[in-house]
Amino acid sequence: MVSIQDLKKINSYEWEIPQSYRPDMRVPVRIFASKELLQDVSRDKSLEQAVNATSLPGLVGSVMVMPDMHQGYGFPIGGVAATRYPDGVISPGGIGYDINCGVRLLGSRLTYQETKPYLNELATSLNQFCPSGVGTGGHHRLTTKEVEQVCREGSDWAKKSGFASDQDLRRTEEGGHIRGADPRHLSPRALKRGTDQVGSLGAGNHFIEIDLVEKIFDPRAAQAMGLQEGDLALQIHCGSRGLGHQVCSDYVKSLQAAVHRFGIVLPDRELVCAPMDSPEGEAYLSAMRCAANYAFANRQVLSHYAREAFESVLAGKVNDWHLHQVYDVAHNIGKIETHLIEGKSIQVCVHRKGATRAFGPGAADLPSEYKKIGQPVLVPGSMGTSSWVLRGTEEAMQRSLGSCCHGAGRVMSRTKAKKTIWGEDLRKQLEKDGITIRARSMSGLAEEAPAAYKDVDLVVDTVTNAGIAAKVALLKPLVVIKG
Amino acid sequence: MNDKTAGFEEVAHTADLEIRVWGKDLVSLFKQAAVGMLHLSGVEELEEGISFVKQNITLEAMDYEGLLILFLEELLYRLTEEYMIFEVGKLSISSEFTLKAQLKGTQIKSYQRDIKAVTYHNLNIRSTPQGYEVNIVFDI
Repeated sequence: MVSIQDLKKINSYEWEIPQSYRPDMRVPVRIFASKELLQDVSRDKSLEQAVNATSLPGLVGSVMVMPDMHQGYGFPIGGVAATRYPDGVISPGGIGYDINCGVRLLGSRLTYQETKPYLNELATSLNQFCPSGVGTGGHHRLTTKEVEQVCREGSDWAKKSGFASDQDLRRTEEGGHIRGADPRHLSPRALKRGTDQVGSLGAGNHFIEIDLVEKIFDPRAAQAMGLQEGDLALQIHCGSRGLGHQVCSDYVKSLQAAVHRFGIVLPDRELVCAPMDSPEGEAYLSAMRCAANYAFANRQVLSHYAREAFESVLAGKVNDWHLHQVYDVAHNIGKIETHLIEGKSIQVCVHRKGATRAFGPGAADLPSEYKKIGQPVLVPGSMGTSSWVLRGTEEAMQRSLGSCCHGAGRVMSRTKAKKTIWGEDLRKQLEKDGITIRARSMSGLAEEAPAAYKDVDLVVDTVTNAGIAAKVALLKPLVVIKG
Repeated sequence: MNDKTAGFEEVAHTADLEIRVWGKDLVSLFKQAAVGMLHLSGVEELEEGISFVKQNITLEAMDYEGLLILFLEELLYRLTEEYMIFEVGKLSISSEFTLKAQLKGTQIKSYQRDIKAVTYHNLNIRSTPQGYEVNIVFDI
């Protein structure tokens, strides 16, 4: 197991596991963490998993891990790895089962003072309008043809169906529609699982949250995003649901044979992969994009119902109840991007698993209003704790492939959390702290307890001190809806 | 269900769920893995007027580990998509990595936890003096 003694200190927030650590490493591991956060990391297998990830053929630069890293399967959560396009590999396990799990932030002009009397009603209404929980589908039942359309077009499908505005799409990573998604690469099971889950939250760590914009750190960026101190905002965290899980399962399985064919030797079978210019690699890339589009559409439809929930409670009571899109980012995805690596501008597939894109000012994919400030980076905290809005920096482009952390990161196993924390007690504590909770499962609530996570403030301090993101706003939770 | 020859236990994992499963032979190992997965999904109540469905499945893989994943995925798909839990009846596993199983299914009303996938992470069926054991990580 990798220990802290194996790490080379680059500066107070960056560490390296040199390529000489293990013979099968193709590149070094670069860790973004404070010394304090490294202590957490050394307790689980995340660094070992990062070392395993360095064995993928075609890697360039280094495999990076963000300060919210924790043990996953195959890749660690918080991992970022780039492979040369198109002859490098793509690895489904380096993206994860919940393809394009991500976060969306909506802002408002609703002040906390005027909305306070309605928060309880808003919680109930959101819970009714936005379906959540284990095995719960959305309001819509799609035909297979419609699911294929969602997979091809993502949020553009949502717009055609009346669930999105132009601004919503413009302020979504890739406009919510990644090109090159061909549903012919999806299995019948994947398509079937997509028929009833568009616009559904799911369970686990997914949530909808009403937040208070508690503090602004960068007024110019906050203004561009439409965030003001004392106003409400809404976060949605979910992904591609059963369709995405099925895509990943299907391809992790089918690529088991491909690695033999390509003579690729890996330390963990979950890392199976295929060159992107092989039929297997092309098929997965296309199927993964289908699931990513499904997830963009899913969050878009959920936003539509969240807006309806707000309207149903607040219409006639306040002047402006509209929720405007701030941004929507993926944190489990593989993207073909151009980066400057070792002095050369090259096309790579950036695997982000539990990591967020954080493009700096001027990046091509950003809408005009964000061109000067950089991409909004959304970092939700654990349930009941603060969340952060950051922005991407020029340094992120140079040092972290335009990537950043995605959340607080777990430190405690679910089993231990359930044993030590009683869901009902936790709910009472959170309500005492002024947070309204709607949760389908009390044991599920216990598993997501703040004590099971790292301190998100420490994670955010690390990425901002390292320079790969800058603080824009601090959000404090008021209402939490859990599946 | 746990005894010396066959059973399962939960192993701590930071974010997902892991079980260690053991059995005196591959058949009992596979059956225990199925029981372990259902335990993790927290199946609650059976549908009133229980209906039984019988199904036979045949699966093929490149090795026993691959076969174990296919087998668990089949059961997981039926749970999440059809709300059916299956008791595994006669089960045979050939040395050519073909699995044949008779399944007896029961409709359920709900379950507690969505298991997103059965992963290949460090999946390795080990032989022990008592038979076989394996650790399985589920993404949740």
